Amino acid sequence: MQAFLAILQYDFGQLSRSWISRIWLALLVVPALFLVVVADSQSELASETMARYITFVLAPISAVAISILSSGAISGESNIISDSILSRSVTRTQYVAAKIISRLGFTLLVYTVVVVPFTYLMFRYAVQDASLSGVALGWVVLASLLTFLAALGISVSVTMTAALPAAMVVLVSILVSGAVLQFLGLPWISSTAVIERLPQTFRSETAVWEQLRVLAVFSLLTIIALASSILIFRRKDL
Amino acid sequence: MYVVQASDLTKIYDNRYIALNALNLRVEKGSVFGLVGPNGSGKSTTFRILLGLQRPTAGSVSVFGDLMTPERADIRRRIGYLPTNPSFPRHMTPITYLEFVGSILGMDQRQAKVQLARLLRAVDLASAAAQHIHGFSTGMMTRLGLAAALMGDPELLILDEPTSGLDPAGRKQTIELIRELSGRDRTIIIATHILADVERVCTDVGIISQGRVIYAGPMVEMRRLARQGTISVEIEGNTGTFEQQIYALDEIGSIRYERLGSEFRITFLGTEPLAEYAQRVLSLVDRTGVDLLYITSRADEIEEAFLQRLEEDRTRGFLRAAAWASTQAADSDTRPFSALKEVEPPDASISRNPSI
Repeated sequence: MQAFLAILQYDFGQLSRSWISRIWLALLVVPALFLVVVADSQSELASETMARYITFVLAPISAVAISILSSGAISGESNIISDSILSRSVTRTQYVAAKIISRLGFTLLVYTVVVVPFTYLMFRYAVQDASLSGVALGWVVLASLLTFLAALGISVSVTMTAALPAAMVVLVSILVSGAVLQFLGLPWISSTAVIERLPQTFRSETAVWEQLRVLAVFSLLTIIALASSILIFRRKDL
Repeated sequence: MYVVQASDLTKIYDNRYIALNALNLRVEKGSVFGLVGPNGSGKSTTFRILLGLQRPTAGSVSVFGDLMTPERADIRRRIGYLPTNPSFPRHMTPITYLEFVGSILGMDQRQAKVQLARLLRAVDLASAAAQHIHGFSTGMMTRLGLAAALMGDPELLILDEPTSGLDPAGRKQTIELIRELSGRDRTIIIATHILADVERVCTDVGIISQGRVIYAGPMVEMRRLARQGTISVEIEGNTGTFEQQIYALDEIGSIRYERLGSEFRITFLGTEPLAEYAQRVLSLVDRTGVDLLYITSRADEIEEAFLQRLEEDRTRGFLRAAAWASTQAADSDTRPFSALKEVEPPDASISRNPSI
């Protein structure tokens, strides 16, 4: 357990020192504050402002940042893993579990740090048209999408040895996923479709079961991605 | 009691490259075992399997009597490992890195601080303790790796090229440190191709070639084998007469010699004691009236023995392959196809080396 906690602390420290994390946070906070000021002065609708923020700022910037951070989780330190960590009293499960919790936890922490104050400010300064339950459900759905992205990044990072190509693979997967899901007849599950429906979700105009269905699918995909990461890493030669 | 026991350890990468070829190895508790072999002979792969970083394709390895697998962190807790050219988290300093290693090992924070201070002084990194690792030279990285390997006061220490990248002073210091570390309860395995290091610190030696241990035994035995029958003399005067009579030193003429200027390296292929051969050489010096400058049986002995073992192994392998091929050809005319399976493959006898 102590080894697990040591790796968790080490990885969390690395993430918080990372320039990508700092830039990511800054790029989310500055436009959010700007939109709060605009919403207040122009009497914008809260649901529409939040949806615009997600579509043009939070989703694309977070997708890039999460892809880079999660796909570098293990591939970014492939030499260090065997020389400095796994040759000592650490099991592979402890190592990969610490990485998963750290990367997913960090993603959700940044998301929460930005989203909670932003929502509060929107409720306070924008024209109120959203319901609290709708907003909560919308943010949770979006969180599940970003969590899945982080899980996907970790599973790619387990299979690839170089961080940059791993990040590219994750980003390309996001870009082509829309077309693939369209082809498969599952457009409702694509990230674009989920984001497009968010204004209605914030206003509680969509059926709850639809959102729960999306939530269930992304949670399941996240579990599959994480389980496969653990299984692959346990069998891998270092 | 054997601390490490590897049986028919085989590692094949991607069905293309055979890194270990039915390797057998036993390391006794308290010994300092030198694993010697050329680059690419399988030393590092052996260590990685020993630590559970890689899985063997076939065969098994047990450490402290238990089968080693990637999930056996409890066994690794008792092992200290120094890889060749080790990699560390570059943003850390030696202090933060060793603290991290201490916490992985489950050490109390205060105990870890005491241990890291002692180790940084021992490996001469105390003055660089606050520097970031990314500015370290290869030698400094090796020394930090050695300190990290010793953090948990391990019972088994595995050192892969511990003197790699070190200057002569650092090398000497490391050798002295290894000597100090060896003792009753600690077992040390050192992989190196610097034979002088092995000779200085090891109690036992294993020679690895093409993924197999071709010789394993006590260092004393290796020295004896190396010294057996080889005498070097440097003479002045009528060296031509001396050279002409070299073959008369043995009745059946089973002698090989090499001349390097005024130095003669004479190898006796018989089985008589070395003292007897030395006596004959001295008699020849006396008879031919040359001036003896020095006589020795120690020149490059370990290196000679190492190269001799490798050469013998290559020759034996070639002869076996040739014999196997000819058996195959002869049998294909007389035996049905299914019977060919009974023919021993070329390397089978090596894997059952009785000395291992």
